[in-house]
Amino acid sequence: MRTMSNTEHVFTANGVTCIVPAQGERRTIFENLDFAIAPGEIVDLVGPSGSGKSSLLTAFARLNPHATGSFALNGHDSGEFTPQQWRHEVAYLSQKPILPGETVAEAIRLPFTLVIRAGASGIGGQNADAAADNAAAATNAASLASSATTSISTPHTASASTSAPHHIGKVSLGRKFIALFRNNDQQARKLLTDQKIRMTLDAMGCEDIDLDRPPHDLSGGQAARVSLARTLLTEPKVLLADEVDAGLDDENAEKVADIMATAAARGMAIIRIRHRPPDGRASRIVTLANGTLSEQAGEQA
Amino acid sequence: MTGNAYDIDIWGLLVALTMVAIAAGISELMRINIGKTLLWSACRALLQLCAMGFIIGYVIRANNVFLVFAVIAVMLVAAVQITLSRAKGVPKGLAGPVLLSLTITMLLMISLVTELVVRPHPWYAPQLVVPLTGMLLGNTVSALAVGLSRFYESMNERRDEIDTLLALGSTAWEAARPSIVSSIRLGLLPTTATLASCGIVTIPGMMAGQVIAGGDPLEAAKYQFVVFAAIAALTLVADSLIMAMVYRTCFTADDQYKPPEMR
Repeated sequence: MRTMSNTEHVFTANGVTCIVPAQGERRTIFENLDFAIAPGEIVDLVGPSGSGKSSLLTAFARLNPHATGSFALNGHDSGEFTPQQWRHEVAYLSQKPILPGETVAEAIRLPFTLVIRAGASGIGGQNADAAADNAAAATNAASLASSATTSISTPHTASASTSAPHHIGKVSLGRKFIALFRNNDQQARKLLTDQKIRMTLDAMGCEDIDLDRPPHDLSGGQAARVSLARTLLTEPKVLLADEVDAGLDDENAEKVADIMATAAARGMAIIRIRHRPPDGRASRIVTLANGTLSEQAGEQA
Repeated sequence: MTGNAYDIDIWGLLVALTMVAIAAGISELMRINIGKTLLWSACRALLQLCAMGFIIGYVIRANNVFLVFAVIAVMLVAAVQITLSRAKGVPKGLAGPVLLSLTITMLLMISLVTELVVRPHPWYAPQLVVPLTGMLLGNTVSALAVGLSRFYESMNERRDEIDTLLALGSTAWEAARPSIVSSIRLGLLPTTATLASCGIVTIPGMMAGQVIAGGDPLEAAKYQFVVFAAIAALTLVADSLIMAMVYRTCFTADDQYKPPEMR
């Protein structure tokens, strides 16, 4: 194994172990795995089904209750983050596109209704800074996508910093209580306007998706792209894409791969679980089999 | 208590039982096969109600504050047991939260309705406190049982959605909120329905009792309203409390979804 300094990697994982209880005993899926990825890299994770690829990615996002290990983001241990802060930066995108909401726009806006993004600003709108920062992040994401298609040229006003303010300011108990049950819809609408969503989707080649349609009516390929767009708009540093192109036709799979390649070009680190033949976009292919990770030579485009 | 009440003698009870027996007999003839259960339940109800009458009568005559609270404590424990046996698909270890939620609502009921509205002498007046607690518990027990069943059912149904929400950075509360809201709504449905229909479709049991016992119907109506309003409000409190206490059983300390087999 090559030794690299931590600064080179955006994300590192060490000693990742996954043990699941099965019929009264404990079955080890994998043990003591190490992994690291640099910004802008696309790494394909392949291996036989049941080898634990999804378990590994959910472990990276700290979503897997059966997994242990130490993870770091830009050299900061995962223990320094709350689970929400961690998942804000290390985003797991599941194979099934789950799009709750009445319309596609609402489904895409869902992450921005959450406290981690709306934060204290969602309560009474006093924390304008936070709102502005988040809006900037959303603009950034929109321009990220638009820069891909050269046809739209938006000025890049937002700063590169995407680390949203996670601190929840001093809010009175009463407001906190109300916020527990309030939906931050209004706030989310400000953070991510319909116009921005439209721009982003168009730039991602999703002109075919109508924002006012119920998500139920989307085709499989459209739902997969909407789900991907939703996560990309949250601007994670690391994207863990779990077979996002499974069950898609070649054309849609190609579109999805393009969208991710564009995001990677902007510095996002992306790990993809894939079952399709290599598409020439990955910088490395890593195989998980029999509980061990092995790396193949860099793929040629 | 009041002189104008029409007492029921032993023949009255026998007539009532005979009615049940005839209905049971007819149901057997029609092969509905519910006769045995019906008859058995009627006998049980007669025994339980008479026992309850004896106990309350004794407590009222004794007029002792400790005895009143001892009876209430027994009712609370029974209420917890009934709630947990009626709630389906809930994890073990909920007795504590259920008891706490019932106790808090019961104390609120006594302090608000009894001491603020009715203001009896002595303050623990058994003929007021014991029946009020009984009515409150009867309502909250079914609301909690329905609410808890619905909550865990919904959390299992929404598994994929919850995983998605958590992956997008939601807190455990945010991921559970839709299930909490729907379970509270369902738990309160009978209560709100009763509130809306009483006086038109039904004369509620408590008011009917007071009227039959010779009380002023308007007084009875006011009493009934206070009790209904308090029960409705406190059922919501009980349901919210229990949800706030148990929703975390569906998550690990790291805000990960905990599947049913791990709870």
